[in-house]
Amino acid sequence: MSQAVETNLSAAASGAENARNFLRQYALHIALVVLIILSALISPSFLSGGNVSNMLLQAAPLGIVVIGQAFVILVRGLDLSVASVMATAAVAATSFNGQDTDALLIFVVAIGIGLITGLVNGLLVAKRNVSPFLATLATMIVLQGMRSAWTQGAPSGNVPPFYRILGSDSIYGVPYNLVITGVLAVFFSVLLAKTTFGRKVYITGGNPVTARLLGINADWITITCYVISGGLAALAGLILSGFVGIVDNWVGRGFEIDSIVAAVMGGVALSGGRGTIAGGLVGAAILVVVFNSVLQIGMPIQMQIIIKGLVIVIAAAFYVRRAA
Amino acid sequence: MTAISQRRSGAFVRRNGSQFIVIGLLVLLAITGFIVSDRFATVANIMNILEQSVTLALVSLGQTLTILTGGIDLSVGSMISLASVLLSGITNGDANMVAPAIAIVLALGIFVGLLNAAAVVWLRVHPLIVTLGMGAVLQGITLLYTMGPAGKMPLGFDWLAFGRVLGLPVGAVIAVALFLLTAAFLRYARLGRYIYAIGDDAIGAKLMGLPRTKVLLFVYAFSGFMASLTAIFLVSRFGVGQPYTGANFTLTSITPVVVGGTLLAGGRGGVLGTLLGVYLVSLLNNVLNFMDISSHYQLIVQGLIVIIAVSVYVEKKRTL
Repeated sequence: MSQAVETNLSAAASGAENARNFLRQYALHIALVVLIILSALISPSFLSGGNVSNMLLQAAPLGIVVIGQAFVILVRGLDLSVASVMATAAVAATSFNGQDTDALLIFVVAIGIGLITGLVNGLLVAKRNVSPFLATLATMIVLQGMRSAWTQGAPSGNVPPFYRILGSDSIYGVPYNLVITGVLAVFFSVLLAKTTFGRKVYITGGNPVTARLLGINADWITITCYVISGGLAALAGLILSGFVGIVDNWVGRGFEIDSIVAAVMGGVALSGGRGTIAGGLVGAAILVVVFNSVLQIGMPIQMQIIIKGLVIVIAAAFYVRRAA
Repeated sequence: MTAISQRRSGAFVRRNGSQFIVIGLLVLLAITGFIVSDRFATVANIMNILEQSVTLALVSLGQTLTILTGGIDLSVGSMISLASVLLSGITNGDANMVAPAIAIVLALGIFVGLLNAAAVVWLRVHPLIVTLGMGAVLQGITLLYTMGPAGKMPLGFDWLAFGRVLGLPVGAVIAVALFLLTAAFLRYARLGRYIYAIGDDAIGAKLMGLPRTKVLLFVYAFSGFMASLTAIFLVSRFGVGQPYTGANFTLTSITPVVVGGTLLAGGRGGVLGTLLGVYLVSLLNNVLNFMDISSHYQLIVQGLIVIIAVSVYVEKKRTL
């Protein structure tokens, strides 16, 4: 009898424990669903086809950048140069004759710039022990200068139709850029979760000393993560240039902050070694939904910036508590 | 005796080696300036360099202290923007409102700094994230207040930016005085020593019972105060506050600090290095202007200098 009660009690306790664990694990997803329901209730047009596809179009480039940013944060880094890489890739897209015949050349040049920037970032961080914040800040400034020197102030060319389609058209209602983001997300998630490289990324980020003792080439892992981030940022810049159509020197402005916010909100720990790409993408989705509902509700656009600021601190505080 | 003094001088060189490099670069730049233009070494140009360096000097002074504790203040740019539009918005051309408006923005700077420190201490979030978030919030508030230039300053307020004391620019004199005071404070005041201790070894400082909360509250409040002071000089220079006027300062305020040899990891460096860094950046831009090099390339050069500086002073430990 008493034994049965005890079992019941412990079952109830573990039930509560399970519920709490469930809540903790899926807090982010629950937050996203609640946000969507709230937004839909407050503003009926929120779930209209036009608004949804608009949000998805906006989410895709951010998602691509977040994937790269997640890799860098996983190895205890931070990539502030992503927005600058995006703008430089976008400028590259307009630097040729604006025809589809140059699409491949543009791709090679833009992605090349991204990869090289990532390599420089990675070398500075891993080999020279420069803090990631400063290393990526410096490459950001250098790229910015090179860009405006190249364009002499403002870029003028056109984005080839190929990238226009990629950035703003849909197939069966699904934006092309979202398809690309999905494919990349699956590829890099598998890379992280199922390959030795992925395990090495987690170990290097979790504890670089352990990684070295295990014979992992931590420097090489770190550099690779920065290269991935640079390459993906360049791709996102190309796609975003196709979305907006007109390129200035600041395409992607704010993406460095947004991508960090999304990743941190999605549970990618700034202390390294913890987090997933899926989490980061949910973080990106929340960010896009929040931005969109701010406008849908009719609040001034400035509120977006204020809310972004509050969200980043609150999200970071939430994960600090959980880790403690 | 000689052994000790030798060891001391060795330590001195090691501790201040970065300063010697910066001084060497300053001399090199000055020589370049001499060669490229006969207008470089004129009184007018030197005054010009001193005037232009004031705002950068003030904001980097506050930044140096946060970095010495191992933190960073990324909200200074937005704080400058907010203080600028508030100062000229509240004053709105009325000479009687200048003093109250200055008091308000300085108090606001201190308040924002205290909020930053409070979030760092009690939410246990990294300063980078806290001040990044605070920067966004402040920028949003600035844009809610005004989307364009706000109000105007009364005649004569430009004395701060263009006036002279003993033949020297007012702002430069104030800035240098503040740097010297802060240097003395860091060296001789108890709180100043605590700043180094906490930045050098946070755990050790905690075990010794050093008042981390008090130190961080002071440091971030100081940084917010300096940002507001920077805004006052900016508004004096431009005659009006603008909502994006401080945007570039967040990152440029870090350049002189790291060039001056203060490590981002905290605990090493000082404000005099930062002052040299400020003059290095200002002199560099001046000389590049004389060489007819466009501002685009000036950006590249500044970025490269940061890269070289941080690669030369290898950080003892890695931080964000």
